[in-house]
Amino acid sequence: MRHGLIQWDEADLSTESVRARQARLQQALVDEGLDGLLIYTNHVRSAAVTWATGFTPYWSDALWLQPTEGAPLFATALSKRVGNWIAATNPTSEIEHSPKPGGLIGARLTRLGAARLGVVELDRMPAGLMAEVVDTCKAELVDATELFAAVRAAPEAVEAQLAVKAAAIADEALASIPALRTCAGDVMQAVELSARLAGAEEVYVAVAPDLSRDTRFARVKGATPLAARFAIRVTLARHGVWIRRIATFARDHDDGTLAKIATWFDTACLDLAPVSGLANKLSETPLPAGLNLTAWFVEAPAVGRPLQIVGEDGQDLVRTYGMANLTLCLSSNDGPVLLGGPLLTKQTL
Amino acid sequence: MVMGVRTPEQARRHRLAEAMAEAGYKHLVLFGNAWQNDYLRYVADFGILEGEGLALVQSDGSVVLWLDDRLEAERAGVECPDLEVRATNDLIADVSAVIGRLGNARLGFAPHRIMPLGIAGSASPGHDDATALIDRLLMVKAPEELDAIRRAAHLADEGYEVFRNAARIGRKDYELVAETEAFFRANGVDDNFMLIGSGGPELRGMTPPTGRILREGDQVITELTPCVDGYFVQICRTLVLGDPSPAQQGAFDLFHRAMVAGIDAVRPGATAADIARAENDVFRADGLGDFVTSQYTRVRGHGLGLFPDTKPHILEDVETPIEAGMVLIVHPNTYHPDAGYMVLGDSLIVGDDGAEILTRTPRSLFANGGGTAS
Repeated sequence: MRHGLIQWDEADLSTESVRARQARLQQALVDEGLDGLLIYTNHVRSAAVTWATGFTPYWSDALWLQPTEGAPLFATALSKRVGNWIAATNPTSEIEHSPKPGGLIGARLTRLGAARLGVVELDRMPAGLMAEVVDTCKAELVDATELFAAVRAAPEAVEAQLAVKAAAIADEALASIPALRTCAGDVMQAVELSARLAGAEEVYVAVAPDLSRDTRFARVKGATPLAARFAIRVTLARHGVWIRRIATFARDHDDGTLAKIATWFDTACLDLAPVSGLANKLSETPLPAGLNLTAWFVEAPAVGRPLQIVGEDGQDLVRTYGMANLTLCLSSNDGPVLLGGPLLTKQTL
Repeated sequence: MVMGVRTPEQARRHRLAEAMAEAGYKHLVLFGNAWQNDYLRYVADFGILEGEGLALVQSDGSVVLWLDDRLEAERAGVECPDLEVRATNDLIADVSAVIGRLGNARLGFAPHRIMPLGIAGSASPGHDDATALIDRLLMVKAPEELDAIRRAAHLADEGYEVFRNAARIGRKDYELVAETEAFFRANGVDDNFMLIGSGGPELRGMTPPTGRILREGDQVITELTPCVDGYFVQICRTLVLGDPSPAQQGAFDLFHRAMVAGIDAVRPGATAADIARAENDVFRADGLGDFVTSQYTRVRGHGLGLFPDTKPHILEDVETPIEAGMVLIVHPNTYHPDAGYMVLGDSLIVGDDGAEILTRTPRSLFANGGGTAS
C-alpha cells in the first residue's frame, strides 16, 4: 500500500494543469470517434489515472471514466468513510463508491448513450470489474492504450519539476547513509527514514550488497553484510511522479573515484534526454577513463505502471517522454559501477 | 532446515496439491501484484512490489512465475533462488500461449475479480474460476504457517512502540509513519499495511498521512500490519497527546469491553457473525447501535495471513464458520460521537479451545506516547 504523504498541493500540481490534461484526452477521444475513455487504477498500476487526476489510491482499486464532455467519474471500491479524503486528493473528478464500481461505470455509459468506449490496457483490465461494466452497458470496447500513451507522453514542466523534487529527496536520503555501515539494515533504515521524513509518497529501497559477486538488487535482510563495494537503488514517488536513483558506494573509504563517476553521471544526464535517438547519443557519450558501458535501459511512465522499460540496448525509444529514468551498468578494473537517475526533456526545465 | 520440518511455503504447496487433486484440477493460473498478492504468494513465495505476476501451478507441484517487470524478476532471482522465474514484456501473450498448449485438462484461475481480461477472457471449456478453492486454503492455515505468524507477531508490538514514541505534539503525521517504516525495514519487515488518523470528535476514520500537525488533546489512531516472510499481523491502538478527556476515557472503556466480548466469542463452531454480534451488542447496550453500521465502520475484524484483509470479514451478515487454524483480528473500530474515530484490536489464532492472542501491547488508552492512562 501507499504509506507516505498523500495530499493535494496546488503549488506542486494545480487543478488547472490536471484539467488541461483531461481536455487533451477529450480532444483525442473526439478525434478517434470514441465516446469515453476508461482507465483502471490501483496502487501498482496507478500512473495513468494519477497523471489524469493527480490521485493515487493507497489501497483497493477504482475505475476512472473520462467522457468526451463534462467532468470525469471516479468509481471506487474504497468505502464512503474515506470519501472526503478521496475528494480532497482527487478534486477534479466526481467520486462514487460501490463494492461493484464497474456497475457504476456501465450505468453512466448507458445514461450517456456511449456506443464506443476506449479502454486503456484493455487486455490487462480486471475480468471481474469488466464483467460489471459489460453487464450494464452495451458500448463497443476499443483498446485505447496507444491513444493514451501518445497524449500522456507530451513533456510538461509541472511533471519535470516534481521529478526534480523527487530526485532531491532521493539524493538527500542517499546522503544520510552513515559513514559507518557494515550491514544492509544500516543503509535501508537511513534511506527509508530520510525519504519519508522529506514527504515521499512511497519509497522502495533495494540493495546489491556485494557488487563483486552479484549486481542484482534485492530487498535483503537487515543483517546482510555489506562488501567493499555495494550499490543502493532508491525508487520513490512525490505526488505520483516516480524516479529511481542508483548509487554505488565503497563501504569503508572512497578514494574519490566513485564520487567522480557519480558527478560524471549527473553531468551526462543533463546532456541526454528521453527522446528517440538516445541510444546513439548514449553510445557517443565519453565515459570516464577505465570504464566500459555494459548495459543501459530507460524507464518511463508510459501507461499504467509508474516506471516501465521503454528503451535499452538494441532498442531505442520510440517517442519523446516528458520524463524518464536512466540506469547504467558500467565495468571497471575495480568492479561494476551502477548508476541511475531521472532524464528530463530540457524544454520542461 | 531440520530434516522433516517443512517451511510454510512447502506446507502451502503440499496443501494446494491435495486440494487440486481433490477438485480435479490439472493446472492453476494465479495472479497477483503488490496490492493483492496472496493468491500468487501461496505458491510463489515472492513479495512483488512493482508490476504484476502470473504463476502456473501444475498438479505435480511445479510452479513457473512470470513477472512483467524485469527488475522484479531479477529481485525474485535473488530472493527466491529455487523459483523458476521468467521476465516478460508481454505477460498476457506469453502466459496465454502457455495455457493454449496445455490442452483441455481442467484448469482454474484465481482470483477472478482482478484476473487480467486477456487471460480470463481466453478461457475455454475445462477452464473455470478456482477462487473459492484458494480462499479456503488462505483462511485456514497449516501449522507451519501459524508458526510463521507467531514469529512475526512481536514486530507488530515493537512497531507500535516505535509509533507511540514518535507521536508528539507538533509533529506531522507522516513523520510517525516514517519512523515506523524505517524501524520495520531494518528489522526484516517486507511490507506494512498502515493507516493513521488524528484529531478529536471530527475524526471520522483513517487514511494515509495527510501532513496534519499533531496537537495537544488529539487522539492518534493507527492500524499497523507488518508483513514478515509474507504473513501479516495487525495491531490497532489509540493514544492521546496529553491527558485523555473523560469522553476519550469513556469511549475507550466501551471499545475495550467490545473487543473483549468479540474475542471471547471466538471458538471453532461459532460464525463470523457471532463475533461481530458480540462486539456490536456492547455498543447497542450503551445506546450506540447506530455507530456499528456501515455508515460509520467497515468491518468488526477480519482474517489475516498472506493478505492483510483476508476472509472472513467479521460482520453480522457473514455466516462463515470459524475454524481452528484461522488467524483473525478482532477490532471494534468505529466512530464514537463524543471522542471521534477510535481503534483497538488484537490479532489471534483460533485454537481448539478459543483464541490464542498474538499481540502483547497493553490494551490501554496511551497518553502522550508514553505511559498509560488506564
